[in-house]
Amino acid sequence: MSGVLARFGTAFAGLLVLLFFAAFAENFASLGNLAIVLKETAFLAILAIGFALALTTAELDLSIADVASLAAVATGALIQGGAAPAVAVLVGLGVGLGAGVLNGLTVTVLKVPSLIATLGMAAMAKGLGFMITQGVAFVGRWPREFTGLGRGSLLGVSNLIWWMAGIGFLAWLLLKWTRTGLHMVATGEADEAARLAGIRTGRMKRLGLALAGLLAGVTAVLLAASLSSATPNMAADHFLYAIAAVLLGMTMIEPGRPNIPGTLLAAFMLKALGNGLVLLGAPYYAQDIALGAIIIGSVALSATVMRRAAFTKKLNFRTAG
Amino acid sequence: MTTKLLSLRGIRKAYGAVEAVRGVDLDIQAGEVLALCGDNGAGKSSLVKIIAGAQPPSGGTMQWRGREVAFHSPQDALREGIATIYQDLALAPRLSIAQNVFLGSELTRGPLGLPFPQLLDKRRMVAEARGYLQRLNLPQADMGAAVERLSGGQRQAVAIARALRWQAELIIMDEPTAALGVRETAQVLSLIRTLHEEGRTVLLISHNMADVCAVATRVAIMKAGSKAIDRPVAGLDPDRLAHMVMTGQDMPAAA
Repeated sequence: MSGVLARFGTAFAGLLVLLFFAAFAENFASLGNLAIVLKETAFLAILAIGFALALTTAELDLSIADVASLAAVATGALIQGGAAPAVAVLVGLGVGLGAGVLNGLTVTVLKVPSLIATLGMAAMAKGLGFMITQGVAFVGRWPREFTGLGRGSLLGVSNLIWWMAGIGFLAWLLLKWTRTGLHMVATGEADEAARLAGIRTGRMKRLGLALAGLLAGVTAVLLAASLSSATPNMAADHFLYAIAAVLLGMTMIEPGRPNIPGTLLAAFMLKALGNGLVLLGAPYYAQDIALGAIIIGSVALSATVMRRAAFTKKLNFRTAG
Repeated sequence: MTTKLLSLRGIRKAYGAVEAVRGVDLDIQAGEVLALCGDNGAGKSSLVKIIAGAQPPSGGTMQWRGREVAFHSPQDALREGIATIYQDLALAPRLSIAQNVFLGSELTRGPLGLPFPQLLDKRRMVAEARGYLQRLNLPQADMGAAVERLSGGQRQAVAIARALRWQAELIIMDEPTAALGVRETAQVLSLIRTLHEEGRTVLLISHNMADVCAVATRVAIMKAGSKAIDRPVAGLDPDRLAHMVMTGQDMPAAA
């Protein structure tokens, strides 16, 4: 029972909040509204999955949002200039991946702590974004080929939801079912033990940060496609939400460890919370206050879960003979 | 007829001007439990690190199964069949028993017999990890349990199971009972006996003379960087052994 509580306690709490909104916020529980919430979860969730993959190797990536904005601006500039959508998309992904690779090298080769390295990267990405746009937004009638990535749908389900599901599945498969993923987890859990077991921990950290960058690029392309525009701080609003989703996700499914199902569930809960507050007519700042409390609360909670896990009774080894 | 597994000749290790190991000759026979004793600073840790591949010697040669070898990393030593179980065990506390046994050398298989993608073969790893622990007389129900939930002796068993998984012929154990209580110490000593019965070779570094007398077949005592004594354990008691470690002199049995 306590195991179930540790794994799903936060999810139950989230469910109660959703039920509260369903009861008191008009329209909240309508299929249309929930579909919109799910669709809007996609940006935040994909960004958060990247953050979770880096965090799995015990590295923080605080540059995801600014890198995503920069990648969106780069993509937007190309589309605006009439470049082929495929080229623009590849450049957007490349900017994200490139920033992630640089972060990884800074952390593992130059030995700069990721907190600092990615903070620096965030500032540089932001500056470059403003440099490219000169502070104005790229907006226009962009080709359907490009905007369809975010606006289209398949089998009646928004493409955004398909992207989120596909990326979530791949990330989950990586962490739970491949050697590389397990080596990333081991690197994050016990760096020295992993190294002594022959795991190249530096490479795992570089991989985690590179994937965080790549997924920032994916988020950027989808954001630009959905909004038909690109501005130098378009992903900024998703930053705290993404971090909150990962941390809140760490309080469920696999308590104490960044995990993909928890992150996805938490991302949806956070978006639904924001949506519910808006429908209830709460002031715009209420969301930020709630978000901050959730970030602090989930870390406190997952630390408690860890403590409990460490102090449960020893398992029963039988000594034969 | 014993066969020489490892043979050290004139091994030296200097850290700047300090000579920690001064020309040590040491043979390890296949199947024996050799205890390496000595006071702090006698040079046993430096010697063990050289054998384990954790640091290179400043001089001397090392032969493994009659062939000269030079290890540049613990992985080199591991590939040859020398596994070291470090004092802090080098386990990942929050990974499961099976994951720890297979850490760095996981088994994979393609789904439905396809060659790609190679996914973790969790079922086989759990079954094999259980097998290794059974061989150590420690049947355990839950291979999915996190190692942090185990007692010190049980963790030692997981670390040894990993050495078995690597098919190590020489298992180096660095102070395996240093942090353990009485019952767990007994458990670890019984693990070492099991390894001995299986014909594995164990190099045991220990400060605990009672442990050495209980499980070792031979003891080498280091004093000031040199090997002072090398003899069978038979006929020794902990007090006499302690005296030998302190003085570096062999002592005739009390009348």
